[in-house]
Amino acid sequence: MLSKSIFGKAEPYLFLTPAFVILLVFLIFPLFWNVYISLHDVSLITLIKGWRYIGWQNFLDLIEDPNFQTSLKVTLLFVAGSVALQFGVGLLISTLLNQKVRAAGVLRALFIIPWTISAVIAAFSFKFIFDENFGILNYLFDKIGLQPINWLSDPNMVVWSMVIANMWYGTPFTILFLTAGSFSINPTIYEAAIIDGASKMKTFLHITLPILKPFIVINLVLITMWSVNFFDLQLVMTGGGPLFASTTASLYMYRQAFEFGLLSKGAAAGLILVVINLVVAFSYIKLLRR
Amino acid sequence: MDTATINNIRFFTERTLIYALIVIFLFITLFPLAWVLSTSFKPNEEAINFPPKFLPENTTFSNYVFVLTDPGLVRSLLNSFAVSVGSTALSVVVSALGGYAFARFEFKGKNLIMSIILGLFMIPVVINIVPLYTMLSNIGLLNSPIALVLTFQILIIPLNILLLKNYFETIPRELEDAALIDGCSRLGVLKRITIPLSIPGFAIAAVLSFRFSWNEFILPIVLANRPDSVVFQVALYQFISIYRIQWGYLTAGITLAIIPVLVLMLSFQKQMIKGLTIGAIRA
Repeated sequence: MLSKSIFGKAEPYLFLTPAFVILLVFLIFPLFWNVYISLHDVSLITLIKGWRYIGWQNFLDLIEDPNFQTSLKVTLLFVAGSVALQFGVGLLISTLLNQKVRAAGVLRALFIIPWTISAVIAAFSFKFIFDENFGILNYLFDKIGLQPINWLSDPNMVVWSMVIANMWYGTPFTILFLTAGSFSINPTIYEAAIIDGASKMKTFLHITLPILKPFIVINLVLITMWSVNFFDLQLVMTGGGPLFASTTASLYMYRQAFEFGLLSKGAAAGLILVVINLVVAFSYIKLLRR
Repeated sequence: MDTATINNIRFFTERTLIYALIVIFLFITLFPLAWVLSTSFKPNEEAINFPPKFLPENTTFSNYVFVLTDPGLVRSLLNSFAVSVGSTALSVVVSALGGYAFARFEFKGKNLIMSIILGLFMIPVVINIVPLYTMLSNIGLLNSPIALVLTFQILIIPLNILLLKNYFETIPRELEDAALIDGCSRLGVLKRITIPLSIPGFAIAAVLSFRFSWNEFILPIVLANRPDSVVFQVALYQFISIYRIQWGYLTAGITLAIIPVLVLMLSFQKQMIKGLTIGAIRA
């Protein structure tokens, strides 16, 4: 290929430089800076004064903090519940929409609407619906003869209320992603299967699922990591309460840093989150390779 | 009954079941937003009436008037527009350059750099909020729209590079080579041939960038929470602490916050699925 460039071989690298600089400054550098902060004593008050080196103290504080232990447990419930429901319902809906239904395009558009709004808006909508004095959900429960539930003030219930809200907010992404996956399947495969007399269930299990597998695994990685790191819903709906009952590890990090002003303790919690993320990513990669 | 009749019955039950499930899930999907929309037309006191009624009894536009005339909220809406447009423009330009390098050049470390960029996409931004806060506070960029425009890039750039790379690859290389032979420079080729042909790709990238920027909440609440610098999402959140929640006002604010992205996304729905398909297959 002829090239009139004076930069010669450096040209592609020049094209990549702006993106690289931004990612370096705002993504890669902060990761290392985070380690530095976590080994010092930094609070909102001492931010502009000197930072005292304190070694592993922040991490020791974390491990001994019962609220942090609670937050790990809450994270596990929140992530397991969110992933199971988002994936299960998402797979079901995307499969239903692929059954040659009428107006499938319009239906798909309607189903992805929650994905277009912000988490703050989803959180407020559910705070309104879950309200224990005037919320419509408890009203409907009352109508069909069920006991009202303290969705957001019962410490044992609140994490499941978050899971419900997160299912509503997150499922559309799975629908979109799996739909994109199923569009990549050549329809003639199904015709062949039907001619061979395979039932709907069989074609789904033996044709659709195996072809979708890479999409499914990537989808699971993404929604798992998002659920681990996502705390917009909890922050807006309950602020992590009552007490710490809906504080996941990521929200714990935010609260330590910006509610209590303990920046370096937040940084240490952030590093533990990084580890959790890596564990999630690598377990799924292993699953995919198998 | 003969087999044809049995098959017919099976067919109808199956169809009925499929449509019934779709209707139920569609109801769950749309009800919360319909409820918010209807509440936004109720006066604040009626919004929290018990038992609740779906349709407003005293329909009013006063909630919208309140939101659109409150100086703080209007300011935050303008901030949101400025930040989202700025961040969208920057990310499309930067990602187009990057995507073009991947689509058109062979260079050392190409695959490695691509994997690094995709890997970076997996790094959640929230784990960086503490270091970003101290960094930006050190250089005096807290509460500035520039800080938001720049930090939003890490949410968007990796995805956009991938998207635009795939789009550029659908444009025949021969067109560009011909222009190069005619004496056009690389940048000239980009300007006269590649960019005009890539407008649909840019449109998808821009819509996605706008959605991320408009909806982002955690970075702005940490990096820009002073009253004159907040974006709309943060202003809505601060509603809870400033007033006892006035649900009429709040639901009107929510409705206004939904409109821009919803309109954009629904108009580009098909391209979006296509874009994601290409992205996921290649990834």
